Amino acid sequence: MAEAQPIGSILLADCGTVMTKAVLIEQVGGRYRFVAHGTAPTAAESPWSDVASSIQHAVERISRIAGRDFFNESGRLISPEVSGRKGVDVFAATTSASRPLEVVIAGLVRDLSVASAERAAGGTYSLVKAVLASDGPGGRLSDEDRARVIRDAAPDVVCVAGGTEGGAGNPVLELVETATIACSLMKPETRPLLLYMGNSRLRRHVVDIVDDSAELRVTDNVRPTPAEENLLAAQEELDALYKRDKMSQLPGVQAVDGWSQVPLTSTAAAFSRLMQYLWHLGGDHSRGVIGVDVGAASTTLAAVFDGHPSLTVQSDLGSAFGGQRLLQERDTHPEPIVRWLPEAMSAGEVRAQLINKESHPVSIGQEPRQLWVEQAMAREAIQAARRVAQPGWRPGAAHAYSRLTPLCDTIVVRGGVLAHAPRPGQAALIVLDGLEPIGVSTLVLDRYGLAPALGNLAAVKPLAAVEALDNGGLVNLATVVAPVGQARPGDLVLKARVTYEDDSKFTIEVRYGDLEVLPLMPGQQAVIELRPLRHFDVGLGGPGKGGKRLVNGGLAGLIIDARGRPLCLADTAKERQLRMQQWIWDVGG
Amino acid sequence: MYYPSETQVTPLTNVHHRRMLPAPGEVVVRVADRVEPTQVVAYADIPSDFRIVPAARLLGVPVSRLARCMRVNLGDEIQRGQVIAKRRGPLGRSVKSPIDGTVRARVGGRILIEGQPTTVELRAYVYGTVTNVIAQSGVVIETIGAVIQGVWGSGGDSLGVLKCLVKGPDELLEGKAIDPSCQGSILIGGSGLDETVFERAQGLQLRGIVVGGLAPDLIPHVEESPFPVVVTEGIGTVPMSRPVFRLLTTHEGREASISGRAQSRWDIVRPEIIIPLPTEALPSTQAEPGRPLTVGAQVRIVRTPYMGTVGKVVALPDHARRIGTGARVRGAEVDIGQRAPIFVPLANLEFLR
Repeated sequence: MAEAQPIGSILLADCGTVMTKAVLIEQVGGRYRFVAHGTAPTAAESPWSDVASSIQHAVERISRIAGRDFFNESGRLISPEVSGRKGVDVFAATTSASRPLEVVIAGLVRDLSVASAERAAGGTYSLVKAVLASDGPGGRLSDEDRARVIRDAAPDVVCVAGGTEGGAGNPVLELVETATIACSLMKPETRPLLLYMGNSRLRRHVVDIVDDSAELRVTDNVRPTPAEENLLAAQEELDALYKRDKMSQLPGVQAVDGWSQVPLTSTAAAFSRLMQYLWHLGGDHSRGVIGVDVGAASTTLAAVFDGHPSLTVQSDLGSAFGGQRLLQERDTHPEPIVRWLPEAMSAGEVRAQLINKESHPVSIGQEPRQLWVEQAMAREAIQAARRVAQPGWRPGAAHAYSRLTPLCDTIVVRGGVLAHAPRPGQAALIVLDGLEPIGVSTLVLDRYGLAPALGNLAAVKPLAAVEALDNGGLVNLATVVAPVGQARPGDLVLKARVTYEDDSKFTIEVRYGDLEVLPLMPGQQAVIELRPLRHFDVGLGGPGKGGKRLVNGGLAGLIIDARGRPLCLADTAKERQLRMQQWIWDVGG
Repeated sequence: MYYPSETQVTPLTNVHHRRMLPAPGEVVVRVADRVEPTQVVAYADIPSDFRIVPAARLLGVPVSRLARCMRVNLGDEIQRGQVIAKRRGPLGRSVKSPIDGTVRARVGGRILIEGQPTTVELRAYVYGTVTNVIAQSGVVIETIGAVIQGVWGSGGDSLGVLKCLVKGPDELLEGKAIDPSCQGSILIGGSGLDETVFERAQGLQLRGIVVGGLAPDLIPHVEESPFPVVVTEGIGTVPMSRPVFRLLTTHEGREASISGRAQSRWDIVRPEIIIPLPTEALPSTQAEPGRPLTVGAQVRIVRTPYMGTVGKVVALPDHARRIGTGARVRGAEVDIGQRAPIFVPLANLEFLR
């Protein structure tokens, strides 16, 4: 679409697994502004089985508020806009509602090629059904057992990785042979695609082995050297397969695609695009940008460090789905989910709540105990995504501590559990617990869930995307200061002085273990002067170094998180519950 | 407008029941065929055992020479002990098949031999008429009767006579109520069941249990039980919705089909009970699926503290209100027979259709 064409109205929609969100942006007074938004349960299943109808349902409210008709009598979106406020000039949509791509990963070294292949698969909506690593899980399995694992998993794709460039040959080819044998065990119409992402010198042999036993695709080696990871080609291939085999199968998706001049994009890919956009717009390129999307069924981390984008989608874990599997990980201490609860709850009660939420994923907790479980799930989901994503980040100058989250300027957060948290402080606390940012960062909330669609829009109408972001698309949730260092609980670790716009001042001494919240409303700015003690690092040049930063207010204010990094939870359940109660209280209840 | 999710609790309707094979196979009935519950409508060959024979290594030949050593072709059916590859020469080494089966593939230096597949039969599971044949995959069977969808289930499909062992929807199904007269029955419970039910059920060939709720601690017992269990409201001690209880008990003594299969995500599958009824006449008005929520609608509440309670929408306030968690949400005022209507988030309401 030509940028010169006048565009006065834009409709954005995001079809999630559970909810569909829609937003109308209009040019008002020469600038693009958010006008109205609407939501509706996603209708991908019976009785509608049509995502187009969920967009229509979500738009009904917008239509009422904005006094605008969007659809013609046959239910087709009117575009471009015609006289009488009918239709919109641009429609852009994203979706995460389709079934994920199911993959089996086979590789040589668990922490190298297999980990890289997993991150490649994580670049789109995929579900890793089995991992076969020669030195890890499955390493001792016979060829027959490995083939059996692949056959029984019945995946859409078998990813075979391994061998540095010019490195191992035979072990990789044996894996390819085993995968090919597994394919031969399946009926031709159900055979998985074989995606080879290993040592490129073996490609010719791989082609010979696979022959016509399965559809074969070959991409760049995801681990060309032990120190180097190259995911781009493999991620693009898997994303293309996801679009071809999964997204296109979503009922009603053809109709939605037909309404749009902008291609329908996966929510995660569009969200990642927006993060890249924000990183380029941002001032300090030595620091990164992270996007956190906790959906009902999946969790996405989209990061940009040093200009390099990284996308990780956990398609089996969200605020509504995946909790039962987590509860079964009994070797984790303290117990998953339960460790984040501010009240005593039996594993049975937690399991009951998780099942009831899965049975009715649209539903919301009406009682605090339900809310705590849902928020605990969100913490676990963010942590799980971070564990997969972080080893693949290339943080460059933002890489202050190897095992901690790199320095970030902006952290964009979205998803119903965060956007609809009863109090903004709760949303901020979930992100602090899950992501554990360090230094000074701004948490930005995608209140209407349209950040991905804006990312999609940015590709064709960047000005509209920028102005919409500035005019209500995203809202500041909090500015966070998280010092890094070691001390005893109660030790003084930071002195902070906040100078507000009216020149009033506020000084605070922060002790190790504290979570302090200072008032700073959205739209307000303040200068914060940080003086770390005991060699604590606030990300202003190294341990013990302080300085001044101009910071923005947010719905939850200015938060100083001196609970330590990595965040350590108390040993006993009672103590953990008391601390969670205190932290929730500290951020506003 | 808000469009709630829907659960079928229908006294009389055209039930379109989809029966699908676990793997591609063959459908053996045709559209318009009348079928009975135990009748096989499709079958599939499920791959069973297989062996990978490293033939090139065993013969001591390079991979490129294996083709010339092969004594069988791809697709050949072979017997255990049969020579499948042999080096040339009078004293040439040979490789024999370790199993009866079919030569499926030769990959690199290895030969894949697949054992005889196991045939899985798909039965109709309901009385009815085949209305659609999905090639190689399954059928849709239409029957007239009552249908009740659950929210959680375990186990497969079964057929039995409905038998109620509780006095009301809020009563617990106790093991001591189960006696030999329950043989071949689908038991109707109330708000849940106790642990002794599984002990008492042993040897009685129960065909299934339908309950409103289920204590989470009993889930492992249910998952191991040989019969399907359908939970109609949710996990926990939850009284069965009155319309569900009424519909089930109305048909006590009738034969019903029960399925505990459930999938809450992607191609959702709901556990269900289908009660075929001997009538050709359907009610003149049936609720259309996909309706918006309106004042006067009958709804079921799907989350605690009122999970499973059925009431009538008396107002749809324009503005959001604060609920117990502190969140401000849009909702409906629902009359559940208390002194005053209660406010329930829209997201926690569903239609019973």
